[in-house]
Amino acid sequence: MRCTYSCGSAEHVLSRRSFLGGTAALLGGAVAGVPGFSPFALADSLEKKRKQILVVYLAGGSSQLETWDPKPKTETGGPFGAIETSVPGIMISELLPRTAKLMHLMALVRGVNTHAAAVDDHGKGDYLMHTGRAQAPGQEYPRLGAVASKFLGKETDALPGYIHIAPGHGGLGRNESAFLGPRHAPLYLGNGQAPANTLRDPAITDPADQSRQAFRCMLNDRFAKRRRSAETEAYTSTYEQAAKLMRERDVFDISKEHAADRFRYGDFDFGRHCLLARRLLEAGATYVQCVHSNYDTHNENFAFHLEQVGEFDQGFSALLEDLHVRGRLEHTLVIVMSEFGRTPHINFYQGRDHWCKAWSIALAGCGIKKGIALGKTNAKGTEVVDHEVTGGHLFHTYLNAVGLDPAGGFEVDGRPIQIAEPTATSIKELLA
Amino acid sequence: MKPNRNPLTAVLIAFASLWACSRVDAAETAADAAKKVGTLAKPQPTLPKDQTSNSVASAASLPLHERIDRLIEQGLETKFALPATDGEFVRRVHLDLTGMIPSADEARDFIDDPSPYKRDKLIDHLLAAPAYARRMQIVFDVMLMERRDQQKVPADQWKTYLYQSFLENKPYDQLVKEILSGDGSDPTNRGPAKFYLEREGDPYILTRDVGRLFLGRDMQCAQCHDHPLVDDYKQAHYHGLYAFFSRTYGVQPAGGAFMLGEKGEGDVTYKSVFKKKITHTTGPRVIDAAPPVEPTVVKGEEYWVAPVNGTRAIPKHSRRSLLPAALASNENPAFARNAANRLWALLLGRGLVDPVDFDHSDNPPSHPELLDLLANEFAQSHYNIKAFMREIMLTRAYQRSSEPPAEVSPADLAAERYAVANLRPLSAEQLAWSVMRAAGIVDAKRAEVERSLIGVDPRFRAIARLDPKREALAERLIESETYRSLVGNEQPFVHFFSAGAGQAQDRLAPTVHQALFLSNGDPIRYWLGPSPSWLVGRASALSDPAATADLLYLALLSRRPTGEERAAIVASLAPRTADKPKAVQEIAWAIVASSEFRYNH
Amino acid sequence: MNTAVSVDPAKIASVKEFAHSSPLMTCRFDPTGAYVLAGSQDRLVIRWNLESAAKTTFEAHESWVQALAFAPDGRTVLSGGCDGKLIWWNATDQKPKPIRSIAAHHPWVRSIAVSPDGKLAATSGTDKLVKIWSIEDGKLVHEISGHAKDVYRVLFDSKGAFLFSADLKGLVKRWEAATWKHLADLDAAKLYHYDQGQGVDFGGVRDLAISPDGALIACSGLIEASNPLGAVHTPAIVLLDGKTGKEKLLERPKEDIKGSMWSVRFHPDGFLLAGSGGGSGGLLFTFKPDQVNETYKFTLPNMLYDVDLHPDGKRIASAHYDGKLRLSAFAPVKTT
Repeated sequence: MRCTYSCGSAEHVLSRRSFLGGTAALLGGAVAGVPGFSPFALADSLEKKRKQILVVYLAGGSSQLETWDPKPKTETGGPFGAIETSVPGIMISELLPRTAKLMHLMALVRGVNTHAAAVDDHGKGDYLMHTGRAQAPGQEYPRLGAVASKFLGKETDALPGYIHIAPGHGGLGRNESAFLGPRHAPLYLGNGQAPANTLRDPAITDPADQSRQAFRCMLNDRFAKRRRSAETEAYTSTYEQAAKLMRERDVFDISKEHAADRFRYGDFDFGRHCLLARRLLEAGATYVQCVHSNYDTHNENFAFHLEQVGEFDQGFSALLEDLHVRGRLEHTLVIVMSEFGRTPHINFYQGRDHWCKAWSIALAGCGIKKGIALGKTNAKGTEVVDHEVTGGHLFHTYLNAVGLDPAGGFEVDGRPIQIAEPTATSIKELLA
Repeated sequence: MKPNRNPLTAVLIAFASLWACSRVDAAETAADAAKKVGTLAKPQPTLPKDQTSNSVASAASLPLHERIDRLIEQGLETKFALPATDGEFVRRVHLDLTGMIPSADEARDFIDDPSPYKRDKLIDHLLAAPAYARRMQIVFDVMLMERRDQQKVPADQWKTYLYQSFLENKPYDQLVKEILSGDGSDPTNRGPAKFYLEREGDPYILTRDVGRLFLGRDMQCAQCHDHPLVDDYKQAHYHGLYAFFSRTYGVQPAGGAFMLGEKGEGDVTYKSVFKKKITHTTGPRVIDAAPPVEPTVVKGEEYWVAPVNGTRAIPKHSRRSLLPAALASNENPAFARNAANRLWALLLGRGLVDPVDFDHSDNPPSHPELLDLLANEFAQSHYNIKAFMREIMLTRAYQRSSEPPAEVSPADLAAERYAVANLRPLSAEQLAWSVMRAAGIVDAKRAEVERSLIGVDPRFRAIARLDPKREALAERLIESETYRSLVGNEQPFVHFFSAGAGQAQDRLAPTVHQALFLSNGDPIRYWLGPSPSWLVGRASALSDPAATADLLYLALLSRRPTGEERAAIVASLAPRTADKPKAVQEIAWAIVASSEFRYNH
Repeated sequence: MNTAVSVDPAKIASVKEFAHSSPLMTCRFDPTGAYVLAGSQDRLVIRWNLESAAKTTFEAHESWVQALAFAPDGRTVLSGGCDGKLIWWNATDQKPKPIRSIAAHHPWVRSIAVSPDGKLAATSGTDKLVKIWSIEDGKLVHEISGHAKDVYRVLFDSKGAFLFSADLKGLVKRWEAATWKHLADLDAAKLYHYDQGQGVDFGGVRDLAISPDGALIACSGLIEASNPLGAVHTPAIVLLDGKTGKEKLLERPKEDIKGSMWSVRFHPDGFLLAGSGGGSGGLLFTFKPDQVNETYKFTLPNMLYDVDLHPDGKRIASAHYDGKLRLSAFAPVKTT
């Protein structure tokens, strides 16, 4: 007898490849929307109000006590104070003076507890926060960026659906899109540089390029005319995308921005990366992730947070304010997160260690309530005492916020897969 | 492109010793291999179509490839595509058996060869060549390792092991047994252990991947309960397989390499998350086959070397060591069936069971009888991979054109009908090596290798050619050295044309990054440069623009241009006498970037 | 100050402990040698009478107290902390109250130094600034900018002619005390580390000391920072030539010790006393100024953050993570 339950795991899907894919998707038929979950039906006003996502990832695990949930003058509070924000009653760390002025646009989630997924480990925490699921051997689910690329992006977009701005060379593992395949894998902009291979060989002139492209098209036409064309169309369309991306290569170049903006965002990597994120979002990027590194402060937590959070405050507040002022925030979901928080206990290196039992993230924009702080930790910050949530809830909430139904799924050859962890639900109190 | 990393010292030494030795080593030569390939069925030309109406049941005396075709064609009023043209065929077979397209000369010679037996001859010729072993080395590396990082075992050891195995046409069951017997403790033979070691000996990952890769069953979802959607995948199956690995762990003893340790105790119990009251216990077992017999171990005397933190425990009874015989066995039908299906998918672009790791009764094969036949024949042949592939390649199904016949119905176009050849995108490696081949890089390097061999003793090649064994060995050395000099150049292609580590590597959607890489990336730009010995240089040097067109087409597409295409090239070159190499480079690039080049069609 | 103390730099013994309930960040003896003061994470300045062990707390800071400096009169003491405040106290009062409180730096005061004539106080902060204050009226006399990073330490030379300021990048600046003119940049960048992978600046000059004759400047901190965020590094001292500013010697522990050299002092006998805290716990070292490795290493029972030398040249105070103020002492040189 066929079971009617579903663990929702990817393995219940007939094929992670055709799922994604290229062929099946393009042939129509194989991948179809399930009622109530029609990512492709967002078409109305899509162009104007395309849902977008910005994730600011504080890599290494930022301290909730030095950011969103300060406990000044307590044994665990550390040396920093708390300051008033634009929302009466909500206090955040003194390290965030600029962000404090924008609190009326934001929602804080102070009751994050990811202990059930046993995520005091960087990799597991990172995985949970990006997929909404606990990591298990042999299983890989797509990251939020890949999901956004799949459902919020469009085939015709010039920019790849999942853009990841990272310090240094960038580049994480190679599984960010899991069974969604390389089409939805991140485009890494290492150190904010334009992606590889977007400059044409200067020796090839415009007319020469036109003539070689024309010849390529002629060959393709001859080939496609006499064959099933779905696969080859998918291939040839990537050249059109490439041409678009090359034409719009300036989108990666923040030197095109006003000097005043560059100054306002900050003359350091993270500031520049935030400005790049703004540029990309304005150019229609579906999902931009901006990594700030590194918060894994087992040693001298306070001195490091002083510098890092200072940078974050400047770059992030400038970006958030611009999104707001320019009217983009209402269709851009903003998420500030880490793989976990840091221990309330201050260790003998004046550091804080990994802590997943009670920590915070911040949200703003599309679909999110404004000016609230949901959840509460106890006086020393060691436990959540109100509105406890975990990574699964947050992932559901993100999808809901951008108009996707996390409880829905999509079909692959008649078999449903739920993209968000089925046992979790959205956090209604956060949704506008 | 990388510089030639090493002068030819190694190969020179090898040749010197070859020259000196009177007997060739025991490794099977290509001639032997060809003979062995012939044991499954006699080479014969493809049967004419009118014989297909014969009863399939009485077909047992027919060669396997004919029986395959009859099972595909029986009862169908499908319009089948015509046989592939010679150009399509030579390209297809080269890609499948050498991992790259043929050279312009090879393509021209084949097309112009009037022999009615030339297709069979080409298949046999390529199966016997060392490039076949190289191709299969790459196929099996990618299939079994799925582009995992190289952390525990250097890739070279593993690849050399695979290469040698295919060179000697090692039976598939033996290959799998060796891979599943490795534990990394023998420093001289860590290659085959890579399968386990790069998975860090993790019992869950091994359970999943052994199920997927050797049994065609992705049973991950049966870990916590019977598979909700697949009646055949029971929790008992998952845990029976898991029980071979549950005592295994990865360990790096002080000063040593990473290897597997195993405990001598600990049983596998499981409960369904839906029926938590009942606890099941299982010993090791491959699906529904009889469980292997386990010796009784006296409590307290389980170990030769007892487990201590950071050391490698050695139990008196190893459960993991029961796996190779239990899995790679005729008693376990899933073993031959999975292999037959995967080899079929490799050559036809789609498994009879599709996806290849989802074999169960609700996802039946497109041709159940055919899959049974293939699995049985493969097992009966003692898992002779070469002979098996040869039979598939002799089929009409394999040799069909990818151009649908006129007025074909959409149903007949379905990939699982095999009525029209499926388009298969070149793998990362096929693409890189094919561009290198077309651009003349491979042949230039090969010539350089040969020249330096002749430089050692000019008589050598002439004499070697008279002795098939020496000739085979010479070919092997030349291929190895050419490969060694150029390997690594495919890495940028792998970066753009593969899936993530540990992900299945087939059926990947095209991406914009690939198009950008092919359009603007360094390798293509460099390889299509005007060096006189490379394609663009040679084609530019031809004074007749029609000859330029022919060379470009034969080198890149393994066919001659149509009249229209030739005319287009001649016209486009006419105003470009001043910068002809540039003009030729533009055309060459356009062909490389075309669909016709991108696919094995 | 005693110029010939004649202690044995190779022999230190524990003397006593004073307990507090919160980690101690800094400690200073008063110039008369009667008290030791400490700054704590629970926002206090704490005074212990060395003889009676009587404990008095000074309350006014809003955050961790991590800088203390006495004026030579022995009465005026300045404290600074992570609240950015610089507070004046009468150190000998029964119940000390703040005499003056100034918002000096933002957000942290890192260090305080008092000029030898007792008229000026120099402070440094995480705002990359150095400020000069009149001790008498608390007025800002001068503000010095020029450091690109957190300024960890300020120090006057013994004659009050120069002020030194040292930062996270290992840059030591010498200023003319009368004019606040920039005289020279001295290079102790060996103590600085930028970690590409972690994207963090780390290390720097954590403490400064000048030899009595002015010939040597000791910069303490750490080297070999293979994992800044994980506290994997080696304590070290860079000795600079007081005249040329050139590096003379890099001093480091003989054994594999992990930590930072938080504090360094020149002992009147001519050797260096340094305190290290980190992966290897709390340690005291003595170094000869011409030898790479220590003369002696003394292990304390807990991680330390600061060390001071008593005016008698014999006693040593150390501030600890476990809230203890520990007193240790050199053994006298035996005279036969």
